[in-house]
Amino acid sequence: MRRYYEEKNRFRVDAQMKIGLEEIPFEEVPPPPVATVFLQQHVGPAGRPLVKEKDHVKTGQKLSDGDEPLTVPVHSPVTGTVINFADLLHPVSGEKERAIVIEVDGDEEWEYMEIYQEPEKQSKDKIVERIREAGIVGLGGAAFPTHIKLSGQQVVDHLIINAKESDPNLACDVRLMLEKPEEITQGIEIIGRVLGVQKIMFATRTSEGELPRLEKVLHEKNITLAHIRPSYSVGSERLLVRELLGREVPPDKFPPDVGVVVHNVATCVAVAQAVIKGKPLIDRGLSFYSRETGGRNLWVRMGTPVEHILQYAGLKPENFDRVVLGSIMMGRGVPDIRVPLVKSIAGVVALTPQDEAPFENPYPCIRCGYCDLVCPVDIYPSLLLEASERGNTKFIKKLNVEACIDCSLCSYVCPSAIRVNPKQRIASN
Amino acid sequence: MVDSKKHSHPLRPDLPPHIASGESKNRVMMKTCVAMCIPAILGVAAIGWNALWQILIAVATVLVLHFIIQVWERSTERMITYPSPSSPLVLGMIVGLSMPASSPYAVTVGVAALAMVIFKYFQGRVLYRKYINPAAASKTVLLAILSIIILFEDPLRVGMIFHPHHLRLDMISAEGFANAVAFYQTDTMTAAQSLIFWKTHGWIGGASGVGVLITGVIASYWIKLKWRIPLAFLVVMTVLATTMGLFTGGDPVSRIALHVFTGSVIFLAFFMATEPQSTPMPERAQYLFGVLLAVFTFILQLGGVLGGSIIALVVLNVFTPLFDKFGHKRAVGLGGGKHVA
Repeated sequence: MRRYYEEKNRFRVDAQMKIGLEEIPFEEVPPPPVATVFLQQHVGPAGRPLVKEKDHVKTGQKLSDGDEPLTVPVHSPVTGTVINFADLLHPVSGEKERAIVIEVDGDEEWEYMEIYQEPEKQSKDKIVERIREAGIVGLGGAAFPTHIKLSGQQVVDHLIINAKESDPNLACDVRLMLEKPEEITQGIEIIGRVLGVQKIMFATRTSEGELPRLEKVLHEKNITLAHIRPSYSVGSERLLVRELLGREVPPDKFPPDVGVVVHNVATCVAVAQAVIKGKPLIDRGLSFYSRETGGRNLWVRMGTPVEHILQYAGLKPENFDRVVLGSIMMGRGVPDIRVPLVKSIAGVVALTPQDEAPFENPYPCIRCGYCDLVCPVDIYPSLLLEASERGNTKFIKKLNVEACIDCSLCSYVCPSAIRVNPKQRIASN
Repeated sequence: MVDSKKHSHPLRPDLPPHIASGESKNRVMMKTCVAMCIPAILGVAAIGWNALWQILIAVATVLVLHFIIQVWERSTERMITYPSPSSPLVLGMIVGLSMPASSPYAVTVGVAALAMVIFKYFQGRVLYRKYINPAAASKTVLLAILSIIILFEDPLRVGMIFHPHHLRLDMISAEGFANAVAFYQTDTMTAAQSLIFWKTHGWIGGASGVGVLITGVIASYWIKLKWRIPLAFLVVMTVLATTMGLFTGGDPVSRIALHVFTGSVIFLAFFMATEPQSTPMPERAQYLFGVLLAVFTFILQLGGVLGGSIIALVVLNVFTPLFDKFGHKRAVGLGGGKHVA
């Protein structure tokens, strides 16, 4: 039986990769022999290295930090020796970025932060600083520093926990909800207390009764459980705010500008672990998919090369010609199988030459308008495509390309197999 | 340190997305063909085997030309403009269904050839897009040519695509209109009934006005046609016909039957006026396109140009790039929404 998400105008997104994935518990992937830790794993300037070559580092030890407000530290995901600093291809930016290469050696040693057994007794500033110190960023994909979201000047009345996980290849958030409901609730409480919000909403696509433990604790904590319709596009932060509260976030603003803060459910777990256990953000859950293995949920340390994950899954890396990190709808393919994971990556999809490559042979646009019909933010991808090909910048501006949320639905439905994606296309032009 | 020189297995860094809906241009075209089979079957049932020959001739002409063009493109190592025959097949069916069954076969071949070579292939290859509907443009051009020929020969013999005696019809007064539609009356049906349900004259694709209407509505849903155009077109045609009927004191039902259910209106509404490349994209612009199409068509009909919808369509097609510039929806986040609780 196939599974679909319903979009506008009766279009559907195939979510068959998800079938059965939610029932598969996390498996812990052993640390790789060599971990590659990028200094840049968040929105904002990278920190300065705090270690040097040949230094011995412990798991959880801070590797970099900086004074800029948006800078968050990165921590060693393994115990070992720093063998190199290098400029390597970054899995998200696609550019060469500074990385620390650590060779794993000896027994694992841990360097965690002080434990806050009663976080409610800590000051808000102390909690925010702890979250920054732990290197926590939004784990839904944006990698925006969490401490900035918690210390904004805007008046916020709603906290929304985004557990929608609408990407067709991801189910790791559902696994978190099944396996770590207490930590999720603790994280939500910590965030809610810092923000001082009136109302907390937990948005999920699951049906009532599917997450009994979590539903119970959320109910006890008076957190509203919002079951969202099964749609891929509503997983977007901006559309989720509109769906739940009817508030529209302008393209040049963020949810706090309309009184809402949105955090991913995985971020809540990271916050709880940082505050209550003193654990920095050095690992995360992700969903892995290949046709041979099907879907699996893995708990992986940052800096683990994709190659290591494939080998762990019992696959031969040389059999694959495409690897997508993150969402299969929004993530880019990486050029090198050894690129390491960073904090924002919630999924890995490995594709062989036998897997479909639907955009290989595009036809000219037939102006069927399917992209316009499915667009969840009501821009006109078809007209933007034409304007972009003609270099008509005036018309592009009129068509509000800035409202594009890069969801790729326009490309997904295109009968001419065109990667429409207006924002990316216009940015690259 | 990872040594990139050791890496002997490069990956393809494709942009997103990496999956697709499975919908393809060929599937859309084949769905359109399947939808048009209903008016084709109704046309053959109402008009007879000659209707089938007309459709087959038009389709065969277009497919043969498609094959010849492809061979030429391959032999000269040019890019193949239309790799699949699905789109030419749709064009052939539209041409066939927009012809009267009594048209000489040579004229059908001519319309199909002109539509395929000049208005489909040439537009697609040179202009990279069809700005005007190929079938409508082809018929309009032939109509103009035949208008000259008819000065010298019997129009009914050479053309059947355009009847100059229609120009002498009085389409405005109640009496004149009644005389004009009397042509459609049969032994068992009034003129209005014939026009709406079962005609034996006019466009093959419009033989059953109601049949096309139902098929068109279903096709609009199934293929996701630009339904706002036929909706606006048919509603405004109905309003104009009713107003005219009431204003002139005639029978509004007969007016609606002729102005709305004639083949050149009802078939064109769903299968030609929704042609994606030559029609506007913004929703409000589609409504306006439909309204203007109705107004121009109605004016032409009152002037006795009963197949005038093709001319109106071609004229409006030319302005589609202008229609595309207005009537845009408000993008999410750009005003109008609630911003704070």
